[in-house]
Amino acid sequence: MALIRNLLEFLIRIVVLVVIILILVPILLFVAYQLLGSKLPLTPSMLFNPSEALAFTLAFMDTDFFRITVFPGFTFVALYAAIAGLWERKLLAKIQLRVGPLYAGRFEGILQPVADVLKLLSKELVIPKVADKLFFILAPLLTVVIATAAVAVIPVTENWVIARSDVGVLVIFAVLGFFPITALMAAWSSNSRYPMLGGLRALHQMVSYEIPLILSVLAPVIYAGSLNPIEIVKAQSNIWFILLAPISAIVFYICALAELERIPFDLPEAEPELVSGWLTEYGGMNFGLILGIAVYIKLYVLSALFTLLFLGGWLGPAPLPAEFWFILKSFIVTTLLLIPRGVFPRLRIDLLLKQSWAYYLILALLNLVVAAAVVLTGSNLIGW
Amino acid sequence: MVDAVFALLAVVTVVSAILALEAKEVVYGAVALALSFVGVAGFFALLDAVFLAMFQLTVYVGAIAVLILFTVMLVRRERWLKTKEGVYKSVGIVASLAVAVGLGYLVYSSSITHVTTTVEQAPFTLIGALILSEYWAALVALSLVLASAVVGAVVLAKLERD
Repeated sequence: MALIRNLLEFLIRIVVLVVIILILVPILLFVAYQLLGSKLPLTPSMLFNPSEALAFTLAFMDTDFFRITVFPGFTFVALYAAIAGLWERKLLAKIQLRVGPLYAGRFEGILQPVADVLKLLSKELVIPKVADKLFFILAPLLTVVIATAAVAVIPVTENWVIARSDVGVLVIFAVLGFFPITALMAAWSSNSRYPMLGGLRALHQMVSYEIPLILSVLAPVIYAGSLNPIEIVKAQSNIWFILLAPISAIVFYICALAELERIPFDLPEAEPELVSGWLTEYGGMNFGLILGIAVYIKLYVLSALFTLLFLGGWLGPAPLPAEFWFILKSFIVTTLLLIPRGVFPRLRIDLLLKQSWAYYLILALLNLVVAAAVVLTGSNLIGW
Repeated sequence: MVDAVFALLAVVTVVSAILALEAKEVVYGAVALALSFVGVAGFFALLDAVFLAMFQLTVYVGAIAVLILFTVMLVRRERWLKTKEGVYKSVGIVASLAVAVGLGYLVYSSSITHVTTTVEQAPFTLIGALILSEYWAALVALSLVLASAVVGAVVLAKLERD
């Protein structure tokens, strides 16, 4: 009897699922048509006529919807994050004479990110009994949303940008300011010792490294005379700002490491002491959202920002497209941000804070003063 | 559309401000305060002052809300137990309601139904230029106040350690 009842329940569930899909799909298609169809050459005959389909695709690539969801937007960044994650594991393995992921996808484990996501998706979402449920569920979601929000103002090239903002650089820092809050929400809501300690460390670290980070960004901004990333890149057509503001670039790199909580600044998640820091109580896709997606999106944002501010963004020799140059440079910066993890030990918390306030702040200020002096005396370094 | 966004922002700002005061858990209160600041930033953005909106986010959410969270975490839990509210609460509610009704009546009874402006949006670089030229004295005074506050904090910390 029990078997038959289970079977019946199973069948009913499948029927319900099919009905839901049958209702949902037309609704979604209708909404998509209402949103896009009125502007695009979307016709049924497209199915049989390749040239119409091509025209549709080209027109579609010009819409904001495409920009937000696909190219400089979420799909591109998620893909970048997956590749960066795999690249990190392989790179660190090679540095430390290990092999890294090897089996998924036959060749050097290139399908490992897919396998990881499938594994995380298949796991149960465990919410501890003593946890604060609202914040515990909200924190990972907010972390991803906030990390993705920063992507909106990052231009891949002059045309491939979601939001053209005159204060783009400021927007990124406004967004970065939210991360301590979400980290602490996650830490506090877990209601457990290790996450709490990790969360407090994250708070200390992010707050004290944000100041030199912002100051180091100001030197390129002063040279370019604009907060708009596109203008900043255009100002670098003769000389990259890394040559005019080398100290700022180094300070930015170090503070980006700290902001990303990567070794040698990974005190918030120090594995030997704190299990996994403020992520300890998370599992399944909740964990995957923070560590698998948000952290790597943040990595992309900071690498892209470094590329835009110091490495001339998408500028590069002509035969190769501008998009290629931007992605290549960002990826090189990402690699540079990944390498220390294979090489350095972890810092002590007092050294970490002292370094930030005593050295990086001063160095960033120094280069800021130099940049201001150069601009004030009217030296024509950038060739205007 | 703008009206709807305004109404939404108003609800978010006011409700989270009330939550910030009334939440039983102080952490909830701090996060609600941050949300309230986000709402205010939304108002700035609605007024086409994106620069101010972003500064509102960087300073109030990124610094002040985080500092309040810091304090909440550092001070022991018993300190946050609620004291008796007494008559102040009811007086406060009546007073704020009176102000709200008065302002509402004032706006409603005036002949203003909508506001249009032909003034172009000023570039944010003007703000910097103005602060550094016309209001330089205020800028210097403010920086001196901040510097002395920092020195005072350091001295206090040192005194406690010795």
